[in-house]
Amino acid sequence: MSDQLMTEAIAQPGMPSARMGRLFDWASDRSTLIIGLTLSALVLFLGFVAPFIYPVDPFAIHPNHALEGPSRMFPLGTDELGRDELALLLSGGLATLIVSLPSAVLAFVVGVAYGLASGLGPVWLDRLLMRLLDAVLALPSLIILLFFASLVSLTNTSLILLLGFIAWPSLARLVRNETMAQKGRDFVLATEQLGASRFYIARVHLLRVMAPILVVNGTFMVGDAIFALSALSFLGLGVQPPQVSWGSLLETGLDIIALDPWWMILPPGIVVFAALLAASLTGQGLLLRWGNRR
Amino acid sequence: MSAMLRLENLSVSLTRGRGNVAILDELNLSVNRGEMLALVGESGSGKTIAALSVMRLLPKGAKISGHIWLEDDDLTLKDEAGMRKVRGRDVGMVFQNPLAALNPSRTVSLQIEEAWRIHNGGSQKVARGRALELLGEVGIPNPAGRLDDYPHQFSGGMRQRVMIAMSLACSPKLLIADEPTTGLDPLVARQIMALIARLRREHDMGVLFVTHDLSVVEEHADAIHVLYAGRSVEWGTARGFFGHPRHPYSEALLGSVARVGQARLQNIPGNLPEPESRPQGCRFAPRCDYRQPECEVLLPPPDTNGATAAACLFPLPVNARPDIFAMVEQGPSAFRKPQLEITHLVVNYASGGGLFSRAKPFKALNDITLSLGQGECLGVVGESGSGKSTFGRAVLQMIGYEGSISLDGKDFSKLGRPGRRVQRRRIQVVFQDPRESLNPRMRIKDIIAEPIRMIGAAGKAPVAQQVANLLGRVGLNPEIGELLPGDVSGGQAQRIAIARALAAEPEIIVLDEPTSALDVSTQAMLLNLLKDLAIEGGLSYILISHDFAVVSYMADRIVVLNAGRVVEVNDAGSIITAPQNDYTKALVDAAPQLRAPNREYPLPTQNVTGSAI
Amino acid sequence: MIGTRLGSSLLSIVILVTLVFFMVHLTPGGPAYSILGQKATAASVAEVNARLGLNVPIWQQYFVWWWHLLHGQLGYSYLISRPVGSLLWQYEVNTLVFYTVSIVVSTVLSVVLGLIQGVYYGRWPAKLIGAFQLGFYALPPFFVAAMLVLWFAVGLKILPANGIVDLREANPGIGSYAAHLVLPVTTVTLLTVCSLSRYFGEAVHEELGKDYVRTAAAKGVAFPTILVRHVMRNALRPLVTILGLSFPYIFTGGVIVESVFNYPGLGWLMWRSALSQDYPILIAIVLIIGILTVLGNLLADLVNGLLDPRASYE
Repeated sequence: MSDQLMTEAIAQPGMPSARMGRLFDWASDRSTLIIGLTLSALVLFLGFVAPFIYPVDPFAIHPNHALEGPSRMFPLGTDELGRDELALLLSGGLATLIVSLPSAVLAFVVGVAYGLASGLGPVWLDRLLMRLLDAVLALPSLIILLFFASLVSLTNTSLILLLGFIAWPSLARLVRNETMAQKGRDFVLATEQLGASRFYIARVHLLRVMAPILVVNGTFMVGDAIFALSALSFLGLGVQPPQVSWGSLLETGLDIIALDPWWMILPPGIVVFAALLAASLTGQGLLLRWGNRR
Repeated sequence: MSAMLRLENLSVSLTRGRGNVAILDELNLSVNRGEMLALVGESGSGKTIAALSVMRLLPKGAKISGHIWLEDDDLTLKDEAGMRKVRGRDVGMVFQNPLAALNPSRTVSLQIEEAWRIHNGGSQKVARGRALELLGEVGIPNPAGRLDDYPHQFSGGMRQRVMIAMSLACSPKLLIADEPTTGLDPLVARQIMALIARLRREHDMGVLFVTHDLSVVEEHADAIHVLYAGRSVEWGTARGFFGHPRHPYSEALLGSVARVGQARLQNIPGNLPEPESRPQGCRFAPRCDYRQPECEVLLPPPDTNGATAAACLFPLPVNARPDIFAMVEQGPSAFRKPQLEITHLVVNYASGGGLFSRAKPFKALNDITLSLGQGECLGVVGESGSGKSTFGRAVLQMIGYEGSISLDGKDFSKLGRPGRRVQRRRIQVVFQDPRESLNPRMRIKDIIAEPIRMIGAAGKAPVAQQVANLLGRVGLNPEIGELLPGDVSGGQAQRIAIARALAAEPEIIVLDEPTSALDVSTQAMLLNLLKDLAIEGGLSYILISHDFAVVSYMADRIVVLNAGRVVEVNDAGSIITAPQNDYTKALVDAAPQLRAPNREYPLPTQNVTGSAI
Repeated sequence: MIGTRLGSSLLSIVILVTLVFFMVHLTPGGPAYSILGQKATAASVAEVNARLGLNVPIWQQYFVWWWHLLHGQLGYSYLISRPVGSLLWQYEVNTLVFYTVSIVVSTVLSVVLGLIQGVYYGRWPAKLIGAFQLGFYALPPFFVAAMLVLWFAVGLKILPANGIVDLREANPGIGSYAAHLVLPVTTVTLLTVCSLSRYFGEAVHEELGKDYVRTAAAKGVAFPTILVRHVMRNALRPLVTILGLSFPYIFTGGVIVESVFNYPGLGWLMWRSALSQDYPILIAIVLIIGILTVLGNLLADLVNGLLDPRASYE
């Protein structure tokens, strides 16, 4: 249940992430954002830079050292084939991020475009687009994602498209509702009275006012994408072998959990957690900073 | 007459940030049985805190010193359980904004019953009977049918009556009313005031009425107590006070409220000091026209050599400033060439907006025909729902309408899109809420530069120069351009809105309740500014407001709207002195009237029936 | 109001069925290959094509598909000899039990935590709860589940890691069921409580700041009474909305948690069918889950409309 809640509920207006800011002042505004950004930088480093710094080949097999805990030779231990866990983790990180990030961008662009079109266009268009959107949003996205994943061949490209396809509806609804709310505000009406065209108003005024909520939700969407990809990979329908990802590493560990392989479970789990936390904190931090100015 | 409530040296401090801040200093007042005392002050004067301390409903960390006597009972000695017995039973309270003050998901009957059963126990049946009785007493039509309705099903005035009914459930000895009429239409407000006054007499209750607006209490208050920045500045009988105000602040307060027929509004320069930075000596001295050097050093003791006690070293003699109360002779307005012609204007609302959904479409405006002359100020007056805002929006071409609106002979509906755009620019707008009308994420200088650029100016330096000029014209420092709208005060924001309207070089400005969201002295300043700008620039105004006095101050001609129709239209002077229509007459009567000093203020001449609520 | 909701739900189902249909047909080689596997011979493919009626134009196939659906045949489930209905039902019951227990436990916990958080807002109990919510919100369910298994099942060996009952017992009693439910329910509860309690806590805090609370105090009502009689009623409303959103999951389950624990529910079945590309079952499950979700949402909407006195006036 919670997996659905996370992937679907996050970008909807008034939903937990959008309103999280108010309750999370156990840290001040500043520190939430700073922690979030720092964590994000770490994760990005881990995913995009570290794999090229750490010289070990993740796929090199060392049968004599299979299933060993952390040691000097293997900082995070080895898996059942004797491969270096740390190297696998880094390689998995890269694999996860190069799919999640672009899919989040894709979903973002499509969602914003759809939402703006619906909010700014003629009333009949809005009705049509919203009917469609509401109907789509009522469907269980993870289930559909899983279903599609089982049908198509799973390459990076197809995964990006799949994940993007699932994530844009929530954002679209948010953007459309925001647009509707903002376009009737007095300062927009005053600008119309000056003779401004609809495009001018959208460009200069609406986007400026909506920018905070767009950025915040975009941040959350990145977290969602990482989660969704990891979940898919965990279930075996994401990044395919021989490539590894954080989700698949967890799954491997779970398979042999009776052997108590904590070094195979903890690191990938913590890294996914860190990535999601980074997205969460950054989004909330931004929300806290910008929240009052709307 | 025995004192029902006596505040003795009451001082209250609240925690702000790290430390304590004194909000109220040594307040002494008493309310007698069967009497209404109006506690008057601007927001920040401490009046609400004083009222809440009687009930001890203060926020955490508040410290009270002094005594609060309710008849012979010292409330400050009671513990929380003791106070709970007092609340609702011995003292009833009515708050502002009844929609928020009532629980939206419980029926009104249940809420009134709760007030009864908390103190009197008993069965639900008995309590419900009491609720029925109370609803009838406060004048709600068909009370039996309304018992099981929810708060949102009542109109604003009715909701306030429900609140009053609730506060009376246990027949309290004292009623505290905290700005109960703020936000209500003037006719409705008048009815609520009359209701409270009647109940006070019938139940022999003391009433402590807290307000920022003296005009509301003029008719019914027995005693007045004025607060400024946490200290009492003047107090005494209402007759004495209104006959001869002795403190400069009282005089300024009286002078700043727009009254029907007033010549010039008094503006009180400066702002109420924050509790943390209250000056030494007399707290009003920095803003006082009559200040002397001693005023800034000594805390003035009360001077009782007059009808009222005034805490001033130099209380005012009688008739100190006759010009404030001078009335203007409003003759017939001069002939003006018609600039804007509105013919048979009709506006339909397809689906109901707001809380009440309508089954069928209704006409917000029904067959309006008017004209606006060059350089004229046309006042549009009406209560909520009269269609006055809709009228403004139709003129501004913001909504669809039937009929025709022509500017200088050019009918808007006959123009193409580019033509319409150009013509629309000639009519600009100032909205009610200054914060909403400015993009919160745009710098002020950019907000004003926008229209300048739209009418064709270019180049960074010339535009910046024009921005500075405009800011100067509305009395603002050009440096304010660097700020965001959220950083400036309401009055400043509204001035910026005016500057933006002027930047487009319009000929007509539609002002939709331009001062309703501001406090009284800022109101005065803005209205004076608008008057000056009109004369300077030959502007025409359409001034929309529910406040008759504000409109009469500004307008050459006034049109009265009710339920989408024109009730009466005439010169301002004629409407005020000789209203033809009963509805107009009721509106004029409900507006704060001018009372010349040293004269008995007139008793209410008739019952105001008002419009159907 | 009911009309538009019904129409929207119908539209959802139409979109779902259409999506499923076209996705199945868009796969390389068509449904026959998907069903038989990539190594199918041309002959068997031709046979399947004939049996499924795949040689007919695609628009006709689409309508036939609907026709089957209305007759209770989901997708191509008539291809298999197993009775799909009762098969799905067995798994469905397991999911129902699992998630109903989880939702009940989560709700109770969330109300308690949310109340504390709302009332003590700004003080340490609320901050502590806030920290917990923040931390656990970002934890992925598969990680939490894996950690729980690691600690309790493997490490401490006090709870079972897998399945629904102990397969070695001939007649498993309630105790066995219960023991097997503990870890999965804990996982789901931990993660749901974060957002639910935050929602509720925020609602409580917001309501406490509203004017009607002050009015009630002015009548002499004591604080605990205000909390229960006035605040709860209004604060529970957004919670009910959220619960309504989660309502479909009682039926449809969550694939991830069921897969970690190998708990034989509907989500687990879907996962295994997806992995093994057992398309007749998979399509049937997707359609069922989809329809149940839509209906669940519709039901939740209707209940929500009934509860809010203001909503019925819109």
